Amino acid sequence: MLNKSLFFVLVIVSSQLKVFAQQINCNITLSGKVIDEHDNSPLMFATIYIKELERGAVSDEKGNYLIENLCPGTYTLVCNHLGCDELTEIITITKSVKHNFYPEHHTEELQSFSLIEDAFVEEKTVPKKELSIRELNQSRGKSLGESLKSIPGVTSLNTGNNVSKPVIHGLHSDRVLILNNGIRQEGQQWGSEHAPEIDPFIAKNISVIKGAESIRYGANAIAGVVLVEPHQLRDSAGINGELNTVGASNGKSGVASAMLEGNIGKLKGLSWRVQGTTKQSGNIHTPDYFMKNTGVKEQNFSWALGFNQPKYGLELFYSQFNSDIGIFSAAHIGNLTDLKKAIASDVPLELTDFTYDIDRPFQHIEHELFKAKAYWFTGDAGKLNLVYARQYNYRSEYDKHRPRKDSLAALNLPELQFTITTHTGDLIWEQNRVKSFKSIVGVSAINQANTISGRQFIPAFVKYGYGAFFIEKWRSDNAKLELEAGIRYDYIYQQAYVWKNKQWNSPEFEYQNYTASIGAIYKLTSYFTIRANIGSAWRPPSVSELFSDGLHHGAAAVEYGDTNLVAENAYNSTLSLEYAKDKLVIQAEGYYNFINNFIYLAPTLPATLTIRGAFPTFNYKQVDAVLKGLDFKASYKLMKNLTWTGKAAVLRAFNQQTKDWLVGMPADRLENGLTLELPKLKTLQEAYLGISIGNVFTQTRVPANSDYTNPPAGYTLLNVQTGIKIPIANQKIAVDFEINNLLNTTYRDYLNRFRYFADEMGRNYSIKINIPFNLNSKK
Amino acid sequence: MKYAVFTNSIKNNLEIMSKNSIKSIFTILMLSLVVFSCKKDDKTPTPSNPDGNTPPPNEEELITTIVLTFTDTTGIVAPFTVTFADPDGDGGNAPTIHEEIHLDSNKYYNVTIQFLDESKTPAEDITQEVVAEANEHLICYNLSGANLSITRTDSDGTYELGVHSFWSTGLPSSGTVTVVLKHQPGIKDGTCAPGDTDVEVVFDFHIH
Repeated sequence: MLNKSLFFVLVIVSSQLKVFAQQINCNITLSGKVIDEHDNSPLMFATIYIKELERGAVSDEKGNYLIENLCPGTYTLVCNHLGCDELTEIITITKSVKHNFYPEHHTEELQSFSLIEDAFVEEKTVPKKELSIRELNQSRGKSLGESLKSIPGVTSLNTGNNVSKPVIHGLHSDRVLILNNGIRQEGQQWGSEHAPEIDPFIAKNISVIKGAESIRYGANAIAGVVLVEPHQLRDSAGINGELNTVGASNGKSGVASAMLEGNIGKLKGLSWRVQGTTKQSGNIHTPDYFMKNTGVKEQNFSWALGFNQPKYGLELFYSQFNSDIGIFSAAHIGNLTDLKKAIASDVPLELTDFTYDIDRPFQHIEHELFKAKAYWFTGDAGKLNLVYARQYNYRSEYDKHRPRKDSLAALNLPELQFTITTHTGDLIWEQNRVKSFKSIVGVSAINQANTISGRQFIPAFVKYGYGAFFIEKWRSDNAKLELEAGIRYDYIYQQAYVWKNKQWNSPEFEYQNYTASIGAIYKLTSYFTIRANIGSAWRPPSVSELFSDGLHHGAAAVEYGDTNLVAENAYNSTLSLEYAKDKLVIQAEGYYNFINNFIYLAPTLPATLTIRGAFPTFNYKQVDAVLKGLDFKASYKLMKNLTWTGKAAVLRAFNQQTKDWLVGMPADRLENGLTLELPKLKTLQEAYLGISIGNVFTQTRVPANSDYTNPPAGYTLLNVQTGIKIPIANQKIAVDFEINNLLNTTYRDYLNRFRYFADEMGRNYSIKINIPFNLNSKK
Repeated sequence: MKYAVFTNSIKNNLEIMSKNSIKSIFTILMLSLVVFSCKKDDKTPTPSNPDGNTPPPNEEELITTIVLTFTDTTGIVAPFTVTFADPDGDGGNAPTIHEEIHLDSNKYYNVTIQFLDESKTPAEDITQEVVAEANEHLICYNLSGANLSITRTDSDGTYELGVHSFWSTGLPSSGTVTVVLKHQPGIKDGTCAPGDTDVEVVFDFHIH
């Protein structure tokens, strides 16, 4: 039924477009969201129909709909959604408008709609890749790095199962900016075994962006920007919430997350939210054995407070992230001899039974974010935002080794401690669209201090920086062509405090550079879009790249930084095509990125002789590198309720100097899935059954003698998912069940730093339950 | 049905809460703003250029030096030492001393090993800690290509320790001996396999 009407609407839309495209005055766009009045969740497959024109649109996964090429006039809009009553609105439009629908189960509570001037769906010249609602739900309970993996082109760099960093097009750590609720995450991102300190349950939307839009967030975004965004605070009176629980068999893990939010009707515009998550997981099981000391404990908490008035508003946000992460014991090795022994052994040299206890070695991490945002609408011209944030990050690493001295050992102190405190301020003015133009301009400042204690791995440092940016967007009158361009300037001052040869040194570093981006979107037809973007980005070398000096415990390597390293400069180009018509949807993105002075760890001979034995030696070096690749995603409706989805990502990373491959790049990968949407069964809704097969190929493109052993063989994983929504008391309780690695395949992954020591996780059954609830008092 | 009861009870509870305790929610929120935002300020000193001689706090324990003292059992040759030293620890500068072992053929030596941390002033003798925790430590002497045999002569009560050892040479030859200090808390079984490697130094030796 739905598919037929969808198809019908599309046919009408496309046939109408041909007529209207020729009429110059009729290029008004009507767009907006269809939002569930109860829990603010976007509603997909809602139909919005214009009675007079006998045409309309269907909302997508995010609840967005778009009706283009309208002439000025008064229209009757009819919004329909399964299980909701029909909404009818009459509006007069003279220019492009955003119109949100709030379908409701009770007609007497119909909300008045809001008309926001020219809130056209903002497009980007590099497609924003986001997790769909189902993908986000399926990733519940996983870390941020793991959640992002369903986006083609995004992989993760893992240290065991518990530390996972997002890798975008082969790049990670300091080259990926992570925005947590609009604030640039400032933790110990330089470390490849340091995961982002973010609770993914905060997010209602997780996406990866590139292009001009990304330059408003700062330099460094060579690989892109990860946006972790909570949804808006409630804007109508009432209280609602959500309870999420996840249980998984492997690691016997349990996650519970609760959120409660409300809007106080009496104090108009005052809204609040509190949210918390607790997580515990024990030793992970590979198909053949338990991995010793691989448990995790996590406790997170956040609150938000908003005061929104027609002319101005204030928002406060606070979040806390606390975790203890066990580091797989058998991976903490002594020296090269031990490493060779571990690699030669099929099973880890230390085995254990299941336990939730976390022993040495482990990491204890705390991250705090406090954000205050104020905004004013500067008349009709735009909106001025002022944002201040303070972040506090505490990371301590406990070695496997306790101190030899009993008195010291009794204190149980971490061997390595970093404390980084960051203050950031941003002043941004977003201009409303004037004719075809829209601009964003802003300035930002950062003040950061890092203190250390324990083993000298990276030094203490202070950092100051400021930046300014300007982004301009232009859209043609018929909305077929859009251009965007942005430029940014950043200045960074850094002073390090290094203890070496029994003396303190405090070298200073200054960096400044421009970031620029220009791109275009061309809508060939309503179902075919071409996007192109070229841009530059840069980042200063990180403290670890400048100052690493000594043994990297756990990595069994001696690493040397180089204080003469200069900033990396990247020149990125992206071309993407999107086709969405009838049963077929295709998104393809090709990129060619040139990185001047790309910093990487190069193996160096001879091995470093220490009193603990010989260690392989690595030096941070700079080369010119080229990274090019292709991301592909497609879906096709094979039958009425059966959809095939395919994803592929290919990357070639080349060292221009040595004419060789770059080390540590993700292998090519492929994923095929089938999803069967089941018909409504009595009151049970949106039931689905999915199966997916993921193939990761062997990484053969590695330089010779760059690793202790060959990259592990490719692998194929089979996953199945099923889910259903149970309507109870006007709410839909969602239950999702998943089996990962169904065949209990034994495999290792090239991007896991523990690939030398152990296999990846075996079969894992998980169940996720989402219970939204609503406490709206009935009028 | 179960679900319905469950959600309804949540609903009832929260409805009661929403009616009575909006004020207290606010109080909690405002309190947490004050409490949590300032929670850890005491932990975040600003780094500054410290006093020229004060080492960083909580510097880790190091072993920088091994000294082997050889005593001829016949007393003919005066006792002598063989040293390996890397005073600035792992990485940084290369080891400054890495001596070879020269022994006479067909002789017996009593050998004592010493572990020092020379990065501290005065140098710290780590051997005492090794002896004090003898049941967690084992010193191994791995030989290759030689007419030499080494026997540990001390023990922790159950297993050998290896701070003291007895070396007997045969005919003139050359080879290497790898000296390994293993930390085996709770897992010591008399063999070299378990535990973490604190020291692993290869000495060339020559029997004349």
